[in-house]
Amino acid sequence: MEVALRIGVNLLKINRVCVHSASRITDSYAKQIQLNRDFSTEVTVNAAPLAVKKHKVSKAMKAYLERARENDEFMKTQKLEYQIGKRHLANMMGEDAETFTQEDIDNAIAYLFPSGIFDKRARPLMKSPEEVFPARKAAEFDETGRPFHSMFYTGRPNFFKLLYDIVEEMNKIHDLEERMLRRGTRADANQKIDFTGFQWMPKEQLESMLVEQINDLEYTNFTNAMDRLVSLPFSYKCQNFIKKFSKPLLDQTKQLEIPKPQFDADGRQFVTTYECLRKTARGDVTVRMPGTGKITINGHDITYFEELQSREQVLFPLIFAGLLGKVDVEANVEGGGTSGQAGAIRWGIAMSLRSFVDQEMVESMRLAGLLQRDYRRRERKKFGQEGARRKYTWKKR
Amino acid sequence: MLGRHSFKLPRLTNMCVAYSTAAAEASVEQLYNRPKLTSTDYRTAENNTKQHSAVHEGKFYTLSPEQKKQLFSGGGLPRQYEQQIKTFTEACLMVRPTSLELLNYIRNTDFTRPVVRYVLYGENGVGKTLTMAHVLHYGLQNNFVLVHVPWVPNWMKRPKETVNATTQEGFIDLPFDAAAWLVHFKTQNANLLTQLQLKTSKDYVWTKREATPAGSTLLELVEHGIARIKFASETIAALLSELKQHANDDKCKIMVAIDGFNAFFHPETRILGDNKQRITPDRVTLTQPFLDITNYNWKNGVCVLTVDKIGMTEGYMDSYLPRYLLGKEGFEHLDPFVPLHVDNYSDKEFASCIQYYLDRNWIQKTPEGFDEQLKYLSNKNPYTLMRLTRSL
Amino acid sequence: MLRSLCSRLEPQSLICAVTRGMSAYSPHYIEAIFSKKKQLNLKETDEYIKLSHLPIKAAKNDDSESIFYNELVNKMVNYITKGGNKKLARELLTKSFECMKRVQIERMNLNPESKDTIIADPEQLLIKAIENSRPLLQLTAIKRGGVKYQVPIPVTEKRSYFLAMKWLLEAAREKERKVHLPEKLAWEVLDAAYNQGRVVKRKNDLHRQCESNRAYAHYRWS
Repeated sequence: MEVALRIGVNLLKINRVCVHSASRITDSYAKQIQLNRDFSTEVTVNAAPLAVKKHKVSKAMKAYLERARENDEFMKTQKLEYQIGKRHLANMMGEDAETFTQEDIDNAIAYLFPSGIFDKRARPLMKSPEEVFPARKAAEFDETGRPFHSMFYTGRPNFFKLLYDIVEEMNKIHDLEERMLRRGTRADANQKIDFTGFQWMPKEQLESMLVEQINDLEYTNFTNAMDRLVSLPFSYKCQNFIKKFSKPLLDQTKQLEIPKPQFDADGRQFVTTYECLRKTARGDVTVRMPGTGKITINGHDITYFEELQSREQVLFPLIFAGLLGKVDVEANVEGGGTSGQAGAIRWGIAMSLRSFVDQEMVESMRLAGLLQRDYRRRERKKFGQEGARRKYTWKKR
Repeated sequence: MLGRHSFKLPRLTNMCVAYSTAAAEASVEQLYNRPKLTSTDYRTAENNTKQHSAVHEGKFYTLSPEQKKQLFSGGGLPRQYEQQIKTFTEACLMVRPTSLELLNYIRNTDFTRPVVRYVLYGENGVGKTLTMAHVLHYGLQNNFVLVHVPWVPNWMKRPKETVNATTQEGFIDLPFDAAAWLVHFKTQNANLLTQLQLKTSKDYVWTKREATPAGSTLLELVEHGIARIKFASETIAALLSELKQHANDDKCKIMVAIDGFNAFFHPETRILGDNKQRITPDRVTLTQPFLDITNYNWKNGVCVLTVDKIGMTEGYMDSYLPRYLLGKEGFEHLDPFVPLHVDNYSDKEFASCIQYYLDRNWIQKTPEGFDEQLKYLSNKNPYTLMRLTRSL
Repeated sequence: MLRSLCSRLEPQSLICAVTRGMSAYSPHYIEAIFSKKKQLNLKETDEYIKLSHLPIKAAKNDDSESIFYNELVNKMVNYITKGGNKKLARELLTKSFECMKRVQIERMNLNPESKDTIIADPEQLLIKAIENSRPLLQLTAIKRGGVKYQVPIPVTEKRSYFLAMKWLLEAAREKERKVHLPEKLAWEVLDAAYNQGRVVKRKNDLHRQCESNRAYAHYRWS
């Protein structure tokens, strides 16, 4: 096949040289036809290129079809294997094969193949083939080589189609607005989309949805376009479209649950927070209510901390919540330095105070950064540098 | 100038907004809204210590400048307090329950019995020295002869000059410090001594040519000591023994006030002897007379002592209790004594202190709840409160 | 210089998308708002509702709601800090404040009538001093045709605060060695608060230079 191709090409070159008046035709196929017509004596010669061309065209398509078929078969076999394997596993575990869910599978695998590998994605897993193997696109162009999608030649048809869709929706809404304006009706403010609790689908998810790779810049464009769409007054008309690409944000305050205070021997309520960590300091804090504002740290007074800053830190949550003289605090702390210990106690007091304070104040404390564990640790020194960031003095020579 | 090239003002960042609002806030009335002060809440006009009673507890009384100069020109008040006096242009002492208790005891002492020793102890910065100052003032106003040592560790740790003693072998003299103390004694007791006309009972021979004959006044003795620094330490010894004698003979009442008494029993001093070794306090000539006078073998007197953690060197600062700070020797020497615990401010005292600072313009900003915050930050410790309000 | 200017003109809202390379927090964490006043202000705007869905970083060690806290003063302490010894820096600044206060109270006592006009609050004095010594323009070297011209360009607010504080400290550190930093700093701040002294002179000199070099201002955009 290839030999014939090469001969054909060489002959073509000779033919080109011979034919002076051959007008420039970009389409090589058309060129072939032209030459065919001009030089009928070289029928045998021409037959080869024609044949080559036909194979060339359908070869790509053939290869494509071949690949698609292979993929389909592969997926079918995988699915079958998965089903059979699931039933085997259920049998092994002594469970009912019909009602064996994915969760059960995960538990079974974790039990049978215990692995201490740090990255969870590297551990043995058994999932349905759709999740494991990445989605691929079906045939994108037909036998003649004509692409199905009108934007095939952009390289990322689905993505750009999406952008076009957004613009379509925007235009629709603009028209609607104009019509409404002429009628004199305004947009219903109650139905306006509230976007505060949502964010746009992250880039990875969008990529998997469109089965295409997306640039950072393009993703930003997409987000901006969607923002514009949402900001229109009549945007609630295409709510479904917007919902497809939005993801609800978690409500942060409702993340952690607030412990209930217990009662001690004197009948006072108290809450203990264990594992108060900051840098290397470890401690636990008990807050009792009602109290007189007594603060005990490791048996000593607040004078345990000589520095003013550490004392301020210990009192910070109490001042913020307004419970300065109303609760008693007992803390035990060890390890770390002055600042670390103070930070640990601060976090402990804040977490314990949540039980004695209403929801609004808890939200306030969270915004003030009191309830967040400070995970910052000392940055390591790197070779070739004097410290973590400081470089050696640069000498020109 | 900038008309042609008009630039856009850079957008305010969060912090800059904070700065400008910090500046703007500072001028908001709320920060400077002082509570109305009634001076009788924290001041009392009663300057006669004899009349101080529970009514005056927690209030400040003023020390007149002449009396203050007479009492404390050689030391006796903490350095920070002196600075405060300068800024506030007045010397005010707070009447505290411990001092009231002590004054009560002193008022009711039976002077025919042997001397009672009172020991003030407490945490750092709780008010021991100022309580002693209050008691000294009482002594001054009630015709006590004052034997006041401002701060003993000064002698042990930072002597001005050390000299080998002449009369006693192996002992160390501190001539300048002794002379300074004699000056201090003179300023405190000059009037009283001229009034009482106490005379020496025996001869004191200093050298072949110098001698103080018997029958000369104590003032002359003191002046001789000041003039001849070489013999200052011995003068002190002589003076104190004379005073003890006179007190025993019912001629006068003596108040002995020593701050930092535990320095006399510290295992070591910072004075280096001849062979560059540290010497113990009992090798210093000055220790002996003061130990003598704090004995209980005389009458017509009062002994007020302070034991302080600050007077000790590193490694001996575990506790502030007298038994620990005095050690075995000191405790035995002072046993029996009346211990008096000086504590942090109570709520009432704290409030009155805050009001006093506000009155003297020492506390400039008064945002909401500042007194509560100060209370918990300082734990009602007087010294810590003073340090905290420095930057307020 | 121009590059840094461009980066400053990025939109700055509470939700800052740009963080340093290696941060213990993910990029979508926002800074803590520990001042109660700021939180109250926020509640009135729409931002507050957005915040309930965002994770927040932990508050820093130097920030608190105590009476001693002031952002500018905090910054000043940071600039005085050397070798990580913030405790000492804070102590020095407190002593400096004490010095200032004593001087002002002395002045107040000398003229009892001027009690209302004389400010003795050290924080206020510091803020006033910084405001008085903030430059509006600064000079940069811009190279055009082989020659480096000193071109006057506007100064961002942050940088102007930084320059004011830096100049104050430099002036304080310059003088005699026997006198300690707190007293020197106190005198510098008092001078600047009354619009006298070396720092204000330095700022005025800079302004005069900018004025004289205004012919080169178009080199900014070449």
